[in-house]
Amino acid sequence: MRALLSNRSAAIGTGISLVYLVLLILGTFSITPYPPTEQHPQKSDRLQPPGATYLMGSDQFGRDELSRVIRGSIYSLRVAVVSVTIAASLGALVGTLSGYVGGWFDSLMMRLVDVFFAFPAILLALAVVSALGPGANNAIPAIAIVYTPIFARVARAPVLTVKALDYITAARCLGVPSWRIVRFHVLPNTISPLLITISLALSWALLTEAGLSFLGLGPQPPEPSWGLMLKEGRNFIETAPWLSIFPGLAILFAVLGFNLLGDGLQELFDPRRNT
Amino acid sequence: MFKRIVLLAAALLTVFGLGSTQTTRAQTPTPGGTLVVAQNADISGFDPHTLPDFPTVRALGLIYETLVTVDSNLKLIPNLAESWKFSDDGLTLTLNLHKGVKFHSGDVFTSADVKYTLQRILDEKTKALVRSNFIDIKTVDTPDDNTVVLTLSKPNVSILTALANATAAILSAKSAGLDLKDKKNVNGTGAFKFESWEPSQRLVLAANKAYWQAGLPYLDKIEIRVIPEEASILAALRSGDVNFAVLNDPTVATTIKAGSGVTLQRVPALAYHVLQLNSTRKPFTDVRVRQALSCAIDRQQVLDTAALGEGQVTGPITIPLYRTPTDQLPCYKPDLAKAKSLLADAGLSGGFTFTVIAASQEPPTAVAEAQNVAAQLAPLGITMKIETMDLNAYVKRWLAPDFDAAIALNGGSPDPHLQFVRYWTSGGNLNKVAALSDPKYDDLLGKGQKEVDPQKRITIYQDFEKQLASDAPWVWLYVGYEYRAMQDSVKGYIATPLNSIAYLRQAYIQK
Amino acid sequence: MLRFLLQRFVTLIPTLVGISLLVFFVIRQIPGDAIAARLGGEAVADLTDQQLAEYRAYFGLDKPLTQQYIEWAFKIVRGDLGYSEVRREPVLIAIGKTYPVTLELTLVALFIALLIGLPIGIYSALNPNGRFDLLSRVLSLLGLSLPGFWLGTLIILVLSLFFHSAPNAGLFTSIIDNPLRNLGQIIFPAFTLGFAFSASVMRTTRAVMLDTLAQEYIRTARAKGLRERAVITQHGLRNGLIPIVTLIGIEMGYLLGGSVLIEEVFALPGLGRLIYNAITQRDYALVQGGVLFAAVNFVLINLLVDVLYTGIDPRIAHA
Repeated sequence: MRALLSNRSAAIGTGISLVYLVLLILGTFSITPYPPTEQHPQKSDRLQPPGATYLMGSDQFGRDELSRVIRGSIYSLRVAVVSVTIAASLGALVGTLSGYVGGWFDSLMMRLVDVFFAFPAILLALAVVSALGPGANNAIPAIAIVYTPIFARVARAPVLTVKALDYITAARCLGVPSWRIVRFHVLPNTISPLLITISLALSWALLTEAGLSFLGLGPQPPEPSWGLMLKEGRNFIETAPWLSIFPGLAILFAVLGFNLLGDGLQELFDPRRNT
Repeated sequence: MFKRIVLLAAALLTVFGLGSTQTTRAQTPTPGGTLVVAQNADISGFDPHTLPDFPTVRALGLIYETLVTVDSNLKLIPNLAESWKFSDDGLTLTLNLHKGVKFHSGDVFTSADVKYTLQRILDEKTKALVRSNFIDIKTVDTPDDNTVVLTLSKPNVSILTALANATAAILSAKSAGLDLKDKKNVNGTGAFKFESWEPSQRLVLAANKAYWQAGLPYLDKIEIRVIPEEASILAALRSGDVNFAVLNDPTVATTIKAGSGVTLQRVPALAYHVLQLNSTRKPFTDVRVRQALSCAIDRQQVLDTAALGEGQVTGPITIPLYRTPTDQLPCYKPDLAKAKSLLADAGLSGGFTFTVIAASQEPPTAVAEAQNVAAQLAPLGITMKIETMDLNAYVKRWLAPDFDAAIALNGGSPDPHLQFVRYWTSGGNLNKVAALSDPKYDDLLGKGQKEVDPQKRITIYQDFEKQLASDAPWVWLYVGYEYRAMQDSVKGYIATPLNSIAYLRQAYIQK
Repeated sequence: MLRFLLQRFVTLIPTLVGISLLVFFVIRQIPGDAIAARLGGEAVADLTDQQLAEYRAYFGLDKPLTQQYIEWAFKIVRGDLGYSEVRREPVLIAIGKTYPVTLELTLVALFIALLIGLPIGIYSALNPNGRFDLLSRVLSLLGLSLPGFWLGTLIILVLSLFFHSAPNAGLFTSIIDNPLRNLGQIIFPAFTLGFAFSASVMRTTRAVMLDTLAQEYIRTARAKGLRERAVITQHGLRNGLIPIVTLIGIEMGYLLGGSVLIEEVFALPGLGRLIYNAITQRDYALVQGGVLFAAVNFVLINLLVDVLYTGIDPRIAHA
């Protein structure tokens, strides 16, 4: 942990992530200035610019933008975190296994990975979500499917390297069971590339979720997600730009945080780059 | 409902200058030039009888024409037919056709073309959209080149309005046997003729130099471009890349400010925004629950929040001539206390939960309407969940009907019979979507169809309207506007409702 | 070399079969079908059962799924991608019209990305942790973090409000018709796309340059008294080229399919938007053909990159 904080990128990334963690907690329990879906239909409350009553302004229903940005965190972040967790576990499993077992199984898995790689990511996610129907959680399998192959490749490469090392061959000859080899020799070597990929995939997943929500395939209104808020604010970009700016910034900083974290990790694991 | 569907479209004025048009023609028109028009979707083909989507109907309305049409007050006026007469028993309709009209192919327009057109519509294989409006036609006779006599199997007053529908446009008899979906076979009598089409990009029309209304059109060409985002359409208008545009979204249209070089014209639409309740599903099987919803919802608030106040609260009838003032309809003044007591009577004082379906972009305000209605129902303990989907998925659920409730934009017609018959008569093809039928409705609508006296007809439909509002199978919300936006240099255009831009024939670009 | 290429082509076949299966069955899981898509609710209700059956037969929806797939697959082998009922033209023609737009967009985006990314990457590697390095890192982080569709919307707004210009007024001008107008239309979406990509270029360049500059032979070159410029261009950059070429290859493939949102925001008639519209209109033939094409395109670009590799670095075995 101390190492993490000694790196500038990692420290800022951790800081931002912590801020978002707080947002996530506030959002989960709806601890917001106003209830996030509460409408104030009076004219004096609708489409108000940022001010004392509504810190980030209000939308066409007189809903408080700040409350919605806070609440939106649970959808945007949850989808990103859960889908990347699934993709990482599944991908790591497939990748490690396929690299370790080798042979026809490896070929088959890698062809499968090729198939998913060649499929344009956003279109695949789009088709999957369309098939499942829109919903807060339906973006999760879609994004997980899209990113699993990346993790499979990332996990497989170090396995191949390790497998070829002399001491592993020796261990095999000595009759050490496979699971022990994987557990104690192979896995530790895949951890660092996986961690780096996870933090980067989180940022991609967040952007993908925003894109899907932007196309109307995310959580269902009146619940907010940042992408959905951007979609709803788009036609008001001239008359009420705050409706586009704040959710846009929320996405921007979250992605920034994950990226910085990823950078930091990369520098820590690969000190050569930290000149 | 939706953009894709039109009950009736195209309002063309026959002899220009006639009718109730306040033409602002101070200067003399400058002929010539190409007008660039933008709409948010491409046409879906060229057969005027089978394609219901708004962009197609709008564009084909420049190429094809109908026998009669409506003016900006929705009054029937002559078009290709210069006059008509119903027999006293209401069983024969005689139409006298305009002389000197030619198709784009050069063929002269005669009664044979009308006969062919009606036969084509009535032929089931054509899949004509408005076929059901014409099934009372027994025979079509053509005593001479300029006279058509329709003999009906039973009195049907609304058949004349049905002839004004743009999807009942007149084709040439020479089109028989040709594939009208093919752009090679486009052949109408309208002020503009087909020139070229690049799918998803543009449709180009050229002036019909032999047009029967002397001196028209002024423009040499119309180029209709497809710009999917309405915000982008507006940007194109501002930059001058587009001269004229059709807009649907009030949140976009209202950003146009006076003096910005772009003018916005509004016409009240006939299509209505409505919350459809499914009376075959609990708890909406109970009329008190439906009434409670109708009493609880402040329709003006839905209009103000979802459509920024762009429109007018409406009852079931949207035609100005037939409409009952909304303060005379039950539950049009929001009354939460009454709603609560109705719910209590129905044994639901604790509220309930149901799901509403809404198409994500059709109309653009649908999801916003659903959100406001949901917020308004919350104080009653009613939880309305919103399920949004793309139009295709929505249409499937809507038709089934597979929904507790649906937010819809349903098409209007200048004739109340044509607007109601498919939903509210027990044999109507959308009666199961309306999800409620009642012998009283069949009776009133049957009377209305036969009634020749205009005043009596109004009374019949107003009775029907009050009955519907009181039974509350649906909660009618509001009618919006149809928007036409143009650069200040575009002159002479008159905005008419029913999705028509046919008046572009007398528009010109001021030099 | 020829054997290597042949081998790669053979391994392509199962990938393509997999892609075709995936696209065929996923798209059919989406509720709603082409008929409702074309006619809308009130109109479909007007059709009799028999008319509906005729429509289904017309769209080829009346046969069992596996049969539909096999018929489709056989057609593809014969080079026939099918017919788009919505656009009323063969799928291949529709792709032929839209692909050049996406390709141009991608190439210009790539050019912009290299224009921004390479010099900044090199310069910041020469002065690591300097003020300029910090700026470049902030810039690259922004590039990675800005949602493209958001940036695009902001650009359109600024152009419209302050410059009264709408570069994509619905009618895309091809580069052959009017190169200048075409450039004006392609430059903003390409910038939006290229800005995000420039971040990866910047970072990779920086990392690679740092690596190579630390190598013995660079020190030797410097010791020999070579001018700094020569050191960088002749030794540093050339050796750093491989990772950059890899990156370009991968990103090219992604950009081609991933430009959907940008094409939608800027109303460009490209391949991404073609497929996206086809999904919402349930134009099965077009979705299948379009995605298959995009996938083949991706695979071929990667193949090209592999071939380029061996050209740049003969040490890489043809494995």
